[in-house]
Amino acid sequence: MISSDVIRGYNDTIILSLLIEGDSYGYEISRNIRSITNEQYIMKETTLYSAFTRLEKNGYIESYYGEETQGKRRTYYRITPEGIKYYREKCEEWELTKKVINKFVKEMVHYGNN
Amino acid sequence: METIKSYLDNIFRNLPKSKEMERLKSEILYNMEERYNELKDNGKLENEAIGIVISEFGNIDELLDEMGISPSKNNENYPVVDNEEAMEFVSLKKKASYLIATGVGLILLGVSLLIFLSQMAERNLIFQSLPEDAKGTLPVIALFLLIVPAVALFIYSGTKLERFKFIEEGKFEISSDLRNILNSELPSITQKQSIHTIIGVSLCIFSVVVLLAIVSFEPFADFGVCVMLLMIAVAVSIFITSGSVPDSYKELLKIDDYKPKTQKQDKVIGAVAGIVWPIAVCIFLFCGFVFNLWHICWVVFPITGILFGGFTALYKAIKAD
Repeated sequence: MISSDVIRGYNDTIILSLLIEGDSYGYEISRNIRSITNEQYIMKETTLYSAFTRLEKNGYIESYYGEETQGKRRTYYRITPEGIKYYREKCEEWELTKKVINKFVKEMVHYGNN
Repeated sequence: METIKSYLDNIFRNLPKSKEMERLKSEILYNMEERYNELKDNGKLENEAIGIVISEFGNIDELLDEMGISPSKNNENYPVVDNEEAMEFVSLKKKASYLIATGVGLILLGVSLLIFLSQMAERNLIFQSLPEDAKGTLPVIALFLLIVPAVALFIYSGTKLERFKFIEEGKFEISSDLRNILNSELPSITQKQSIHTIIGVSLCIFSVVVLLAIVSFEPFADFGVCVMLLMIAVAVSIFITSGSVPDSYKELLKIDDYKPKTQKQDKVIGAVAGIVWPIAVCIFLFCGFVFNLWHICWVVFPITGILFGGFTALYKAIKAD
């Protein structure tokens, strides 16, 4: 399990990447995150819904009521063009972050080997 | 599954109620249910599955921060009263009310006996061979012999309820499930209570009629009060016992007299009662022993009762504004 502190800044990115594949709802998204990461990252319910709230407020996603199935009416989420743009920016940011952090992580390994 | 539902109910209970919140809650409930079913399908035991689902819920504050909602602050981690405990509380309150009703009945019976014996002694029908002083004090002894078990009953019923002190003080929470049960049963229970109240009030009115009827027969005039007191004793017992169940329901639901605000009022009224009633007892004993007015000094109790009732009503009316 990954500490939620480390991954916090990228929860939104993870959700957006799944919505780019197609509209989806809460449970499906959290299940996909689990299966893609082989259960190494499980997003908590409250983390998921605070991300939805934040993304919707910023206009990156839109919600709508889905068809009723088995008496349940789910809320679906759709990514907006702004959301796609934001996702690309976050991907670039991550590439940069990765490069920067890797420098330090590698130096640590190097140092430790001496 | 019920565990998950009541877990969510507990979390959302103290949050502001809105359509948005309802939607969020049901959405999260769907997710948790589906996750639960998935875990069960993968061969997890029920308890394990519930544990995992709840551990994956997260921290509600994270979500509330994002939504710009601050949780209401009244929840100081009070213990949650479950259905079994609530039913135990109700039945214990019922038992205690029988004890208290018996105690009050004994005291009224004692006063009635006091008047009866005094009258008999005055007419030289009993205690003829005893000295004058003993004639005066024997009826009082009879009264105290009945007051002793009555007080014992009051104390005993109080200690029985000691375990549920936190409920009496309003320091508890109940599940929405229990709230629904209590709310659905309350109307039929209060209906029963109102029938008993009608019977009790009728008895009180009828006791006055009986008093007037007996008084008109000159030789028995003084015994009318004895009969009236006995009838009032029965009526008061009915009031006390019939009120116990609906009162305990209201206490659990924190409605009517048990709203946190009213409880503060009750503290003032309770404090006044704590002063007024002992004074009444002092006057009663003083008039009795010093002036030997046993036959009439009991009126201090009904007078205190009426004045105190008036004060309570007035206090509530002023505070209600």
